[in-house]
Amino acid sequence: MIELWSLIAGVVLLLLLMAVAIKGWLAPRQFQERTRASRELGAMEPCPEEFVSRIFSPADREFVRGLKAGSIERLFEQERKRVALVWVHQTSAMIRKVMREHAEATRESKNLEFSTEINILAQFLTLMAVCWILSVAVQIGGPLWLGGLAHFGQRLSQQVTKLQESFQAGVLAKAERVGRA
Amino acid sequence: MDLSYKMVTVEEAYDDLLRRSLSKISGDLARLIYLASTRDYNTGKYHHDGLAARFRVEIACKALELAHRRIFYRIAACSLEELVEEVELYLSSSRQSRDEVLQVWQKLEPYRVALPVDVNVAIAQLFVSNTKLALAILRRRQEQEAMGERAS
Repeated sequence: MIELWSLIAGVVLLLLLMAVAIKGWLAPRQFQERTRASRELGAMEPCPEEFVSRIFSPADREFVRGLKAGSIERLFEQERKRVALVWVHQTSAMIRKVMREHAEATRESKNLEFSTEINILAQFLTLMAVCWILSVAVQIGGPLWLGGLAHFGQRLSQQVTKLQESFQAGVLAKAERVGRA
Repeated sequence: MDLSYKMVTVEEAYDDLLRRSLSKISGDLARLIYLASTRDYNTGKYHHDGLAARFRVEIACKALELAHRRIFYRIAACSLEELVEEVELYLSSSRQSRDEVLQVWQKLEPYRVALPVDVNVAIAQLFVSNTKLALAILRRRQEQEAMGERAS
């Protein structure tokens, strides 16, 4: 019995620590994010799947290799790396923005579903880990072998965005019902 | 009701633009440059006299913006090989010397101005990056041709 209670206490403590860590991690980025996101990443329309495929696809590299020109190959590797990093940073910034909006919405919501919150948090943490791995891997070995992971990240970010949108729609609908009543 | 009427009109203006102006331009890259040139640098608004006369100024502006975005996304989605062909077509249909245009494009990068407003940053970067590569590939081909001619 004591073991069960200590397990529950451990899980709760872990969740609290994670919440504090995420809050602390998001806070210093807020100003930086707002300015950079509105300028560089201002256009927050998500990158369609076909472009993610294009960025991470090795097809263009095959074409460049066929030219048998070292300087063009080097330029290609450098350029594709740059584009891939822009995509990774954009995805990461977009998902942080979604999570900030979610955090704001949860503050206004009174009946939070624990399972939904854990699901969103888990997806957010997975996505941030994917972005970090992609960022490091792209810088080390270039983007052309990371198509699978990039697509996974893309799908996950769409999922988190949809979850947040449906959550926000629910909060708004509830607020309207309360307002009418 | 009003909104759908407006959309139909923008689509009509877009079709008109496609039929009367854009179909006469060869290649999507040339179309992109043309559409970007109808945009005012200071206000970001598009203007086309003929289209504005047939439709309203705002409708013409929206139709030009729509065409600009659609063509941009089409070109940005091209493979590098396809983009090299597009740039080649653009260079060969230009009135200026091919060599001169190639040099100026590499130095000034005027294709950066051809980006529509509020376009996805990663896609914009992909377009700029691929165009830069396409120009480098064509430049190299040109140098090889010149060397071949000198050797023979």
